[in-house]
Amino acid sequence: MHRTVPSLPLAPSVKVKLINAGFQLASDLIDMRPLQLCKEAGISQEEAVEVLQMLRDDGQPHQQRAATESLTALDLLHQEQAVGSIVTFCSALDDALGGGVPVGKTTEICGAPGVGKTQLCMQLAVDVQIPVCFGGLGGKALYIDTEGSFLVQRVADMAEAAVQHCTLLAEDTEQRQALEELTVEKILSNLFLVRCHDYVELLAEVYLLPDFLSEHPEVRLVVIDSIAFPFRHDFEDLSQRTRLLNGLAQQLIQLATQHSVAVILTNQMTTRVSNGQSKLVPALGESWGHAATQRLILHWKGLRRLASLYKSPSQMEATIQYQITVQGFRDAPDEPRPTTASSAVSSPSGNHSKRLRMEDLS
Amino acid sequence: MNHLGVMVILREGICPGINEEFIKALQSEDIKTVEDFVSCNPEELAQKCSLSYKALVAVRRLLLAQYTAFPVSGADLYEELLSSTAILSTGNPSLDKLLDSGLYTGEITELTGSPGSGKTQVCFSVAVNISHQLKQTVFYIDTKSGMCANRLLQMLQTKTPNMEEQMEALQKIKVFRVFDVFSLLACLQHLRSNGLQKASVGGGSVKALMVDSVSAVLSSLLGGKQNEGMSLLIQVAGELKMIAKDFNIAILVTNHVTRDGNGHLKAGLGQSWSHVPRTRVLLQRVEDAETSSLRTATLTKSSRQACHLVEEFDLCHWSEERRTSISGKRKLEERSKP
Repeated sequence: MHRTVPSLPLAPSVKVKLINAGFQLASDLIDMRPLQLCKEAGISQEEAVEVLQMLRDDGQPHQQRAATESLTALDLLHQEQAVGSIVTFCSALDDALGGGVPVGKTTEICGAPGVGKTQLCMQLAVDVQIPVCFGGLGGKALYIDTEGSFLVQRVADMAEAAVQHCTLLAEDTEQRQALEELTVEKILSNLFLVRCHDYVELLAEVYLLPDFLSEHPEVRLVVIDSIAFPFRHDFEDLSQRTRLLNGLAQQLIQLATQHSVAVILTNQMTTRVSNGQSKLVPALGESWGHAATQRLILHWKGLRRLASLYKSPSQMEATIQYQITVQGFRDAPDEPRPTTASSAVSSPSGNHSKRLRMEDLS
Repeated sequence: MNHLGVMVILREGICPGINEEFIKALQSEDIKTVEDFVSCNPEELAQKCSLSYKALVAVRRLLLAQYTAFPVSGADLYEELLSSTAILSTGNPSLDKLLDSGLYTGEITELTGSPGSGKTQVCFSVAVNISHQLKQTVFYIDTKSGMCANRLLQMLQTKTPNMEEQMEALQKIKVFRVFDVFSLLACLQHLRSNGLQKASVGGGSVKALMVDSVSAVLSSLLGGKQNEGMSLLIQVAGELKMIAKDFNIAILVTNHVTRDGNGHLKAGLGQSWSHVPRTRVLLQRVEDAETSSLRTATLTKSSRQACHLVEEFDLCHWSEERRTSISGKRKLEERSKP
């Protein structure tokens, strides 16, 4: 191995002792016995065993392999075309996002109170469960609630509307069969709910997520509503908050990629005063803006609710209008389809979203 | 030759004259590495260790000869630079103008900017340009899962309608996905030791490496009571510089921005990192512009051009950019619309 000792993921105190003993490369260490290492470096026996274990780990963790293996962009293209996205039932928003909320990436939804962030999250938690034959992902959802704004009754209403919508669309036998299993009870039972009361609980939950996702490989959506709330109260050391958030963001990005889930984070807005003008900007600071891969900002314009795609690696910026109805998150009435460039991934569910706009389901 | 320095452990056989008793005697004086040995005075050592003075001096001379770096004349260095440096176009004439023709091999160039300012898009454009126009391999280290092959394909489609060419270009872009600093270091060290040579043997030399972004993995480790962050930052910087120099590669990294006390934007990772890239470019949105895809690029550090040069470009299509250049402190509004 060509790893240098300072670059190994070991405790700093152990590394300092190894370096002072003169070990420079991982190859210097790999043939040593624990007792020998113990004596030469002056570390305890457990530490020596740990070091050697880490180096000899043949069942290399996924990360190590990823660090030395590369994919070509062509392979990635095939992967991207195979993985789907989660529809929002608002066709304008789905178009702007290139088919829906992408699986494998983190999306941040920012907005002032009452604009519809939690509604969108609950809608997505229902939409991820739409069966594959209807163009959905047929997956489960994990909802991490930090604000206590999750309402089961509302999700039940949305699930009811979604089931009705699918019923209207069912054409062939496969779809009708899937429809028999799709009930409001089933949708609610596939939604895992976790309640975190402060940032420590949230950090612990995210730390445990990889194991949870390995045990439940059908989970395709993880929602954290909201990530701002536990970090905005009683945090004296702002630089520590930034560090914790950055670390959290990287962990979530890793989760999204390795377990193929869509991660949604909701954020609040704060006011920034500059040059005598005040502006509403997403909370949690400037560097948090870099954390999520995509950023969606929901805002009011008079009485209309608008969603702007502010940051995305693959989609152009766009602003669309939406509304919240009894059935959930939907297109605004009489809104012409936006002509933003759609990505190469065609959404198989684009068809039924369009139909939804034309029919009154109430 | 071990160019990592002289922190080599003293062992039997690394040099004639060093045997086990020799080493044991030295260890009793707490001398374990070559560096410890050559920094000691042989006379004092001879007295303390009861080893022969002549033997110590002889071994010292041998070790120094074996592990010293050799000086190179400036003229040779210049010759080598002329013959090996290449300048890679970014695919965007405005940016090329800002960077004095493009990305230079052997150097690190940094892109910084607020979220949504276009850093990842510029990286994509450079990757596509190098893989398609110059037909060379590009290594792309993605720490934020921002790599979107569909977008690369879109960009390629504006350059050529030929599907085979598009697929060929996509195959020349190799993506590594790492999420923390240790994986990043493992990846860079692997590239340095055999990855890059393997790639050059396979046909199509590697001329560019991109890291998007370097601040995502480092920023959570700096500050507070953590004592390892700085060391890891310097290690990453060291690996990037060695790769750039040894393999003659142009390195492009992206960094985030933070706001200082007065609300002004500054690049992340602090003063220590600011010395690492040779050239730094700040990307910003154009306020109140008609098309929201306009961006400005400002040169904030360069060893070749005057700083604070600004160029404007459009993220939409890499073939249609508007070109206006300002230097000095003239405000953006005074510029005439194209």
